[in-house]
Amino acid sequence: MLEIKNISKIYGKEIAKVVALNNVSLRVNEGDFIAIMGPSGSGKSTLLNIIGGLEYPSSGEVILDGKRIDNLDEKDFVDIRRRKIAYVFQQYHLFPSLTALENVMLPLTFCGTEKGEEKALETLKEVGLEGRAEHKPSQLSGGEQQRVAIARALVNSPSLLLADEPTGNMDQKMGREILGLFYRLNKDGRSIVMVTHNPEIAGHAKEIIVLQDGQIADKISQKGGRQ
Amino acid sequence: MRLYQMVVKDITRRKKRVLYASVGVVIGVATIVAVLTIALAGETSINSQLEKYGANLMVMPAISNIDVGLGGLSLGTLAVGENRIPEDKLPEIREITDGLIREARGIKAEGNIATIAPKLYVNAEINGTSVVVAGVDPQEEHKLKTWWRVSKGRYLQTPDEALVGATVAELLKFNVGDRIALNGREITIAGILEETGSNEDYQVFVPIETVQEAFDKEGLVSSIDIRALCSACPTTEIASAINGKIPGVRAVAVKQIAETEMGMMEKINRFLLALAGITLAVGCFGVVNTMMTSVHERIKDIGIMKAVGASRNQIVKIFLYEAIIIGVAGGFLGYVAGTLLAYIVGPLIFGGVAVSYVPQYFLPSLVLATFVAIIATVYPAFRASKIKVADSFRSL
Repeated sequence: MLEIKNISKIYGKEIAKVVALNNVSLRVNEGDFIAIMGPSGSGKSTLLNIIGGLEYPSSGEVILDGKRIDNLDEKDFVDIRRRKIAYVFQQYHLFPSLTALENVMLPLTFCGTEKGEEKALETLKEVGLEGRAEHKPSQLSGGEQQRVAIARALVNSPSLLLADEPTGNMDQKMGREILGLFYRLNKDGRSIVMVTHNPEIAGHAKEIIVLQDGQIADKISQKGGRQ
Repeated sequence: MRLYQMVVKDITRRKKRVLYASVGVVIGVATIVAVLTIALAGETSINSQLEKYGANLMVMPAISNIDVGLGGLSLGTLAVGENRIPEDKLPEIREITDGLIREARGIKAEGNIATIAPKLYVNAEINGTSVVVAGVDPQEEHKLKTWWRVSKGRYLQTPDEALVGATVAELLKFNVGDRIALNGREITIAGILEETGSNEDYQVFVPIETVQEAFDKEGLVSSIDIRALCSACPTTEIASAINGKIPGVRAVAVKQIAETEMGMMEKINRFLLALAGITLAVGCFGVVNTMMTSVHERIKDIGIMKAVGASRNQIVKIFLYEAIIIGVAGGFLGYVAGTLLAYIVGPLIFGGVAVSYVPQYFLPSLVLATFVAIIATVYPAFRASKIKVADSFRSL
């Protein structure tokens, strides 16, 4: 469903030039669970941003469902963000002034869906937070906040879920819970690309891609992943 | 949940920020509302003074001054014409005045309508001091000078009585019942007027026939005050009709004099409004500033909104909705603050004038404030919409 071909990303110019990604190619098939690993500054987040259309590559191609999307302007990308690709961040990035339910409804609001409440509640139930719908983020634990963020990502039923160190801010127990949630979502047929530092988490993925200095240093396939 | 609902929800949980952002608009609108409210109060008070008190029209002898000179040398001016009006013009003046009022107001009833009060001014020596003696028609004068209050004694009743202005009474130590000589004719002081703050305080009022007899001016008056008892009476038309039909007199509508005064006020108002406009413009920059700060503070939020599917238009809309809320809040507060300011400052400017709030200014205040807030937000909103998602996260 998603393919990136010979992607490079260069920040700055001349002396200040930083090569974040150097000729990276990658394929994400339907139902995939890919973990991207690597030391800090190896280009993990940049790769994820390019896949998600949050950043443009300096060169190379990004193909989604047979169509090039790396050269789309922002207007056309809005549609992809709304329907096909969703993001989960390490810091949750919820809006503190809105309740859990309202945060989940936000993508529906941007899509112009007026009565998104039912759908949002359903999605909150899916992540096991139906009882916390009216809570503000500050009244929720880190794990709960991340689950709200995942519900927000899921509410528009995207085919690809991108997660940037989703358990990075949590203790092990909570991290496992969140990871379990990602598993279930993957089992239900969603493709997942996750950036992580944690080898234990990566160990559960179907494929591990190790980045180093902006290049793919290793690709490990683990059939079906470990569960 | 629609976009505006989200903005409203978000903003009601950040009330302080909205108030802070609207300060500029509040000050601008408050200044304008205050200026307009005070100006209106001043105008109303001038109008009501004109309406309530005194004459709408004054008829004076037509005297022209001509320069007298020899060659290029000026020897001063010479008054040409009678300096008194013959009394027998009074019925004619009444006819013209009442006729025009009847016509204008559709009044059919007979009888006098306007108050027509003739006066004869003379200088007299009383107890060795020169005093202006005003011969008046006691009944008509009483109708004209509704503000007169007799502090001691009573109003004029018989021909040989005098009513004394407050200052004259004080200076010459007059008391009710004192007898004074008026060019040889003895009259009694019937009453003393309360202070009015006008030149009436320096005059002695005596029935006009008595003055005419005492000073040998039978059948003559100095001026005639006319009061048409309605604010919409055609005083200017009456004045020109009198001027056209009766020779030797000059009639002036007080409104014409008042217009000069009003014209001056209008100029001052315009100047103050210009100042208020500048204040509003400065306030506008204030809003731009807060909005720019807001954009900067919310780079991350904007990035997240974009990441979860907000388009550039929607980001602009979010900021514009905020502007509308800031504008409406600012307009409301500005109206209230401006009105309060008018209540405090108005009486200081117009000497105790009664300021009243003007409900008609409320809606324009809201509209103006909202307009200003929107104008001030357009650029920051545009900037916000251009923020790139990845950049917004990098700035974390």
